[in-house]
Amino acid sequence: MDGNYIALGVTLAVWIGLFLFLFRLDKRVKQLERKN
Amino acid sequence: MVYFWPSEEPKKIIWSSEVTQMWWKLLLFLGMSALIVVSFITPTPQHYERLDLQRTLGEASRIFYYHIPQAWICVLAFAMAMVYSVQYLRTKQQRFDDRATSAAALGLVFCILATLSGSIFAKVTWGSFWNWDPRETSIFILLLIYGAYFALRGAVETEERRAALSAVYAIFAFVTVPFLIFVVPRVVPSLHPADSVVDKNLKFTMGTQVRLIFFSSLALFTLLFFWMFGLANRVQSMVRQREERD
Repeated sequence: MDGNYIALGVTLAVWIGLFLFLFRLDKRVKQLERKN
Repeated sequence: MVYFWPSEEPKKIIWSSEVTQMWWKLLLFLGMSALIVVSFITPTPQHYERLDLQRTLGEASRIFYYHIPQAWICVLAFAMAMVYSVQYLRTKQQRFDDRATSAAALGLVFCILATLSGSIFAKVTWGSFWNWDPRETSIFILLLIYGAYFALRGAVETEERRAALSAVYAIFAFVTVPFLIFVVPRVVPSLHPADSVVDKNLKFTMGTQVRLIFFSSLALFTLLFFWMFGLANRVQSMVRQREERD
């Protein structure tokens, strides 16, 4: 398999993971801010 | 906070604010995903042919779409840490110290990422992950300088003293940033490509397609940084509120 596609897959997986982490953290912080 | 329309009703304000925040997050997600795909599937950047680096850089030149924005965010974050430190010293408000710390922490993270992506590039083009090239040495010194910022913060127990000392340190630390990132690698002979974005006459060395991908990457990384910075500050202010309550 072309190395570019492997790099593309790894980079996309890292980005989606980071985005989901930040999105969930943002949501959780918002909930806590409302509670306070 | 940006609203779609002004409203006196709190519910509507919250809703419109949430919709706006949702839109830019969606835009960031789709934009960055598209950028990642485009950066790997487009043909090898043609502009390097003009610089006769195509043979040596080749596919590895794609790392520029990530490495340069990471280095840019690192400089931006350290500059923000310096500005917030000045504001802390002027006002003595703890929130400015918190913001300076968040900016310096994110700057350090992006500095580590730029170092890692740079060493991958070095392995492909120079044959080894680390060569103690002037550019590598200067970013290593920068990592040590900002690592010491956090060591200093950890060493001082009194909150006000810690904030004041680290604010002064952050201001002096930033003085070294332009010197280590822009001056040293250009004064001392280096293997690092010097004309990656602009040449000596400040003209773009990139073709239209590469320039479009590169500047989109720069904008999206900046947006991502501000999201992370905002989140870090909100978490920090909640921690502070809880400490004050307890």
